[in-house]
Order: sequence, then C-alpha cells, then structure tokens
Amino acid sequence: MPFTITMGGSFTSTGAGVKILLPNYADYFKVWNITQMPLAPATGVVIGAEWFGAKFGLGATAANDGIRIKKTNSTNAPLIDTFQTATVSNGFTYVATNPVVEQQNAAVITSITQANGAVVSQTAHGYSNGDIIQFYNTTGMLQISGMNFEISSVSSNAYTLIGLDSSGFAAPATAGFTRRISRFLAVDPQFMYVTAVTKAVQAVVTLSVDPSLYYVPGMRFHFSIPFSFGMTELNQVNAEILSVNPATYQVTIDLNTTAFTTFAFPASTTSPTATLFATASPSGTRTTRDPNTFVEKGYNFQFQAFHTGQFVPYIFLSGGAQSPAGASGDQINWQAYKLEN
Amino acid sequence: MSFPTGITNINNFAPELPVQAAEDLLSTPMFNLIHSFGVDLHHAESYIGKTTRMSRFERLSTDGGQLDGSGIDPASEVPVRTDIDATMEIYAKSIVTNEQVILYENSKTLTKFTALLGQWLREKEDLLMRDLFSSSVSYINCTGGTNGDQPSNISLNDINNIETILLGNDARTMLVSIDAMDKFNTGPTRDAFIALASTNLTNDLQKVQGVLLKNAYPSQEGLRPEEYCSISRFRFFVSSKGAKTPGISTLGRTVYTIPMYGLEAAAKIEQNSYTAVVGYRPPWVVSSVAQNSQLYAKFAIARAITNQNWISGLNATTFSPS
Repeated sequence: MPFTITMGGSFTSTGAGVKILLPNYADYFKVWNITQMPLAPATGVVIGAEWFGAKFGLGATAANDGIRIKKTNSTNAPLIDTFQTATVSNGFTYVATNPVVEQQNAAVITSITQANGAVVSQTAHGYSNGDIIQFYNTTGMLQISGMNFEISSVSSNAYTLIGLDSSGFAAPATAGFTRRISRFLAVDPQFMYVTAVTKAVQAVVTLSVDPSLYYVPGMRFHFSIPFSFGMTELNQVNAEILSVNPATYQVTIDLNTTAFTTFAFPASTTSPTATLFATASPSGTRTTRDPNTFVEKGYNFQFQAFHTGQFVPYIFLSGGAQSPAGASGDQINWQAYKLEN
Repeated sequence: MSFPTGITNINNFAPELPVQAAEDLLSTPMFNLIHSFGVDLHHAESYIGKTTRMSRFERLSTDGGQLDGSGIDPASEVPVRTDIDATMEIYAKSIVTNEQVILYENSKTLTKFTALLGQWLREKEDLLMRDLFSSSVSYINCTGGTNGDQPSNISLNDINNIETILLGNDARTMLVSIDAMDKFNTGPTRDAFIALASTNLTNDLQKVQGVLLKNAYPSQEGLRPEEYCSISRFRFFVSSKGAKTPGISTLGRTVYTIPMYGLEAAAKIEQNSYTAVVGYRPPWVVSSVAQNSQLYAKFAIARAITNQNWISGLNATTFSPS
C-alpha cells in the first residue's frame, strides 16, 4: 500500500520547539528548512530531517532522534547523520498514546521559588503557556515531585505555576527535572491534584491545573486527602462544585471547612515517608435547576460524562539551528505521511 | 576429493518440499485481561442517545427522627440522587487481505485473521477499562516500602490503608472467602476486594508480609489464571498491561498504578446491537478488480467510575529499579 501525505504545512521558527498535531497519526514525517537550504551556514545546521514510525521496525526512529541532513562550512555539501550523534541537538518525538511522557523534555530545572504562584527557572525550556508539566526528582520541594502543573507567564527561561502556593515551604527547590505531558488523560473527567483548600463556609479548592476544561458547576468531587496534608476531615468526602475559576485554577465547593484542620503540604524533609498526593476525582453530578435564575447545573454532557480524553497525537520538533524546528526566523516546511493500512 | 558412492541421499537428492507446516499454528500471545471482570455490566438501548446515565439514591440522614409526643411531625427529607454519565464510543479495526495471500498461504488465513480480530476486541476493551482506572481515580503513594523512593515499593501497611478507606466508605467485598482445608502449606482467604497490578510487581508482591500465593489457597476451583496472590483483604490479579507511567517517581523510576475496589465501583456499558460486530467485505466490494477482501471488527463501549467511595488504590515503585 502506498504512502499518503495526510498533512503538511509550514511555520516560521522562533527557535523554540514546535508541537505539530497529527489527528490522523503518522508513519513518516519530514521537514525542510527552506531558509537554511541555499545558504552556507555554520557546521551542523540542519536543512532537512526525517522521522520514521514504528511500522519501519528496526528502522524506526528512537525518541528524540531522527535522520538529519546538515551542512558544513567548507563545502556547503549536505551530510547525513542522526540527531543522536550530535551533542547539543534534539530530534523528533512522536506522541501517539495517552497519557504521555515526552522523553525529549526530561529537562533540568534550576529552581522553584517560594511564592504564591511559584516561579520555575529552566533554561531554554521550550514550553508554552497552558502546557502541563510533570516534575520529578526535585532537589528540595520533594512534596511536589511527581505532580503535574499547568504553566503560565512563560518566558524564555522561566514560567509560573498558578496552582502552587509554595510560600510556606521551608526552602526553594534547587534542581529537578520536568517533562511535558498531555493535557488530557486517557479518560476524562480526570482526577486532579489538590494544592490548597481554604477554611470557609464554602471552601475554595486550588488545583494544579485549570479545572475548567474538565469540570463545570453541578459536578461533584471526591476528595482523597492523606493524613500528611492536614485537612483529614475532607478525606473521602464528596462535595459539589459551585463555581469554577479558570484564572486561579480554583473551584468553590458546597462544604463548610471552617472547623477543619488546616490544609498544608507535608514538609519536603518528610519525604519519602509522608503519603502523597492530595487529589480530587469525578464523583458524578446532582443536576439542579435554580427557579430564580433558570440556570440548570450539571447538564453539560461535554464535561460530565465519562469519555475518552480529547487527546490528539502529535510530533514534537525540537528547536534550534541543529534541530528540526530550526533557528529563529527559519522557514520550515513539513509533511506528515501515513502508510495505508 | 570425494568419490560418488552410488547411494541416493539428501545431499545429492534434496527433498522436493523443503519445509512443511506443523499441524497447527502456534499460539498468538495475549495479555491477561484483568480490567473488566470486576466491574458492573450495563446495556444501552439503541436509538435513544449516546450517553448512558446511571443513578443512585443516597441514603437518608439518620439524625433525629424520634417522635417526642408533641404531635409535631418530624421534618421530612428530600432524597438525593447522584447521576453518573458515560458516553458511548465505537472502536474498530480491519485487515485487508490480497487474494494471493489467501491463494498461497496454507494456514486458513481468513479464519485465523477473524480469530485475531476477535482477540483484538477483547484486548482493546481491557485497555480501555484500564485507562478509565488510571485516569479518573485518586491513588495514594505507597510509603511503607524500603526502597527510599516516593512512592515506595508496596507493603502490607499500604494495602491495609486502602482496606481502611474502602471499609470506611462502606464498600462491599467482591470475592467470597475460601475456607481452610486440611492441606499442608495452605491457608484460607478472606472475602476480598479486587486489586489489579502490573506483572512487574509480582516480585514485590511475593515479599509483602502475610502474602498468600495462589498455590497456597485451599482450593484452586474457579480461580482465574490471572490471579496471583491474596494479601489482607485483597486478591491481586496481574497483567503485563497493568497501568504504569515511566520515570515519574522521585528517583525517576516507573510508577505502577494499582486500582483496588469493591462491588459496583465501576461500570462497563455495552451497546445493544453493537457489542461485538465482526464482518467480511468480499473482494468485489473492496477492490475494483476483486483482488482485496476485508475483515473487520468493531464494538461500542461506555465506561464510568460509578462510586468513587468504593474504589481507591496505590501508586508503587518496585524494590529493584524497573
């Protein structure tokens, strides 16, 4: 059966990594760097690259690899090798299953601040606003190692975790690793990490990720709060979501927590014996209708019904002159192919 | 230098047929299907929408209720109904076969390919249920192990914590007890909840305090081959496709997710008239020159966690890195 081009396009590189969605999946993918192609650039600059999927068997491309066509200074002639032969460049990573871990982005962080809206420093991370990042092997702040966070206020070397108030933590994290993962798990509504709960007549729960893509008022949360997080009165309790705030990643619930024990992360020094994590998972809905406002809660089937997560396969092109997504200003043409059947 | 001996042997008279097929094909590998048999099965009618709603009434409050002789009726209570919705989804796979394969191959390809599609139906369904468990349930990290990781390797204390949670939420056990018998090295099992785990955890399960390996049950009657052991109030079933996420422990190791649940914690909904459809499209339909035929299989499924109070579970790493 022949190969069919299923998708194609072009973009102007910013020097950062690029994620190209491939809703029909792909078996073969290639890029051409139109800008660099006619030039005699510095040694190692990529002018084209190819990725081979699993159907190629032994010829399949490993994660963060691919065949690269590069130039040399001296002759302007193309040379062909693989990305993994280079020391500083990265290749393709194809993500077709869910949940996912992007191996190419097992990136090193240099710090996480103690702040309400913790700031992560990470050189040339290549992430975008709204990406979901998983932290692990942190030095310090062990209480968040393994958690997922949505990031915002992204700059070249830093980003903010709206859903984490780490101001009460004993010390900043000084090292660690991150990976970008899919926003959507295999099934939604998905469980979520709880990072704070207020003591109030209607408690406000802060989550590590914007909950508005998965939950609407009227749906219910089931809370799992280990003893190490303090507010054990909330453990194994169900509560209704009254409102969702996508700006602060918070939901207000119909539960009076004023007399509860204060919610707090365990100390980093108690790891690995402190039980993690505080989570909330979908617990159905109680549909109601407000006769005054005529608003019905809990009837949004897009959110409340259990369904396959809206995951779309994609391929990640690492950024930089020696990578498939090119250097800033480069025009990149790309094509995705699929082997029929 | 060799001289002809005049003897006809296989060196100067090779077999006309160099190979023959064995009388039957070897087995096609299939992983343990563990993620469906502990859940409730419901059926969705056709022609009335793609979302199935499962509802339950919550119990009434037991506060008050005493008639004090004043003649004033106690306050009435409005019952509360919780709704769980699940969306029906359809999955399909096909095999397109050229006529020359059927013509030359001696292994009854269409029959065998149909069997492969049947296996795909079961395996795909199992993985879909696994994904439900791994995405929509809260899990607690093991901390009782000694490997120094977060989560740690699994321990009896971790397992007992989940039992406490389930019992505290009035969950019901799913498996009946197996009474003790007068057999050496066997012991009874209690009525139990179900736990599902990756086969990579079997080494650690053997080391958990109080473990009763399957061979030490008093009776093997009715046991599923996927069952591995009994620990505390849980009977563990293992599969190579058990849920896991690589590299996310504190030490960067693979984290294994172990759903642990009782009766009516989760549900699988099958669509009437679409439970498992296997079909054949003949060559004159698939190909303009009638050379390719197609076998296909498809099924519809909806899935849901129907009671979060009756399901919990553990995240664990292995004692030795895996």
